[in-house]
Amino acid sequence: MPLLEIRDLTKHFFHFSALSTVSLGVEPGELLGIIGPNGSGKTTLFNCVTGVLRPSGGQVRFKGEDITGLSADAVYRRGIARTFQLIQIFPEMTVLENMLMAAQERKGTLLGRLLRREEAEETDRATGLLEYLGIASVKEDRASNLSYGQQKLLDFGMALMPEPEVILLDEPLAGVNPTMINNLVGHILALNAQGYTFVIIEHNMEVVMSLCRRIVVLSQGERIAEGTPAEVADNPLVLDAYFGR
Amino acid sequence: MTDFIQLLVAGISIGSIYAMTAIGFVLLWQTSNTINFAQGEFVVLPAFAMVLFLTVFRWPFAAALLATVLVSTLLLGFLVKEVLVARLLEAGVLPLVIATIGLSLLIRYSLQYFWTPLALPFPPVFSRVPIRLGTIVLSWEELMNVLLVGIVIGALQLFITRTKLGWAMQAVAQNRTLATVLGIDVSRLVTLTFVLNAALAAVAAILIAPVYLVKYDIGIGLGLKAFYAAIIGGFNQIRGALLGGLLVGVVETLAAAYLSSQFRDAFALVILIAVLLLKPEGIWGVKEEWSS
Repeated sequence: MPLLEIRDLTKHFFHFSALSTVSLGVEPGELLGIIGPNGSGKTTLFNCVTGVLRPSGGQVRFKGEDITGLSADAVYRRGIARTFQLIQIFPEMTVLENMLMAAQERKGTLLGRLLRREEAEETDRATGLLEYLGIASVKEDRASNLSYGQQKLLDFGMALMPEPEVILLDEPLAGVNPTMINNLVGHILALNAQGYTFVIIEHNMEVVMSLCRRIVVLSQGERIAEGTPAEVADNPLVLDAYFGR
Repeated sequence: MTDFIQLLVAGISIGSIYAMTAIGFVLLWQTSNTINFAQGEFVVLPAFAMVLFLTVFRWPFAAALLATVLVSTLLLGFLVKEVLVARLLEAGVLPLVIATIGLSLLIRYSLQYFWTPLALPFPPVFSRVPIRLGTIVLSWEELMNVLLVGIVIGALQLFITRTKLGWAMQAVAQNRTLATVLGIDVSRLVTLTFVLNAALAAVAAILIAPVYLVKYDIGIGLGLKAFYAAIIGGFNQIRGALLGGLLVGVVETLAAAYLSSQFRDAFALVILIAVLLLKPEGIWGVKEEWSS
């Protein structure tokens, strides 16, 4: 049974169809790539899965449970974390506080939240992750003062913080310099080897072809192809979608 | 000099009540993008409730205070959020602003029509015996107002900075989208904020009622002054609202004494215009990139 299963997912904005009966499955421990030209519905798909948008039709199942239309906080608490195309952080909080924020609502009682229990355990985990990502030295700095690359790493670290079962990365390499690309790709591969499941939207074809073992291609809101990087690269429908042959 | 110190304390006293009301504006804006133009009436309604419990039901002060805070948080916190705000929040800022203006009119003229258009006396909360420090004469009321508001704002600050719930409120204020996808139940936090605001308004009501008496329309002036105070200090900063409230209170008190008492209410507007021209985000405010 797939860890995450999307069945005939549809999203309309008035008369415009951003997603049309898209189906796909994500197996545990997989590193799945989603590619497609701009406006093909990739981010809309993430938004519908994570509860940011309510789908117009279809179903999203996570570990067999129907999570279609659940609110974003409810989806997150079930173990699906994500990043956004544009970096999303709490700019006036420190790096460490951002990390703790990503963990705090996943578990704990009302009393615990009032008394800030479990913080020592969370701080240890946050510090460990920041060290792993190489930004522990700035953990007390205000997040808005970090460089773009450091903010990308923080964004990524926040997605890891609640120990999610699936991580959806929306263009994690966009606007990042080559050194940082290697850094991020290394982290994704290492974490995937540890058992983390990733779904990645990415425009950097070179990276996505080498990173993912399976790729789904969207175009104009429809799934037009699926397969290994080599199969996708040779698919005439994919070439047509990108180059308009 | 004696007069100046007495006026200064009086200004800080009234300013601290403006500040507490202004902080409500900031809290609601930060977590729910709501500008509550019924904020003045949110103070008036608990004042009437207090009068009801004290003079009609003849309850002891502590019981009346507790009941007032309870009624205020239920009606103006929970009910307003669930019935009005939750339904209009998706529609953007403007419909909600218009709805709060309607709510203020509804509360104000319901009190006038169904209760009384007259000013109701409010029993003094503190001793009326003056405190003499040499030639300086101060009232318990003024000092206790400042002390109580200080305690309430201090407790609020501790709640916001030292508890996970308060932290979640900060997160929603800084990045609502991220807060939502990180599992924060924003709707529940908005309810909590409305309840907190209603509780602050109830405390402000107890403090201001002995000064202004309890009348259906005192919320107009109070709400506007608190609104000016929040803008002057910075609409997105609690400390800004505190500064703005104190500034408005002190300036209007001193200006009324030394310049013109007829233009007492105009001085807050002068500061407001100056701040909008020179530092539109407010003295301690932070510039926001905002679209909706």
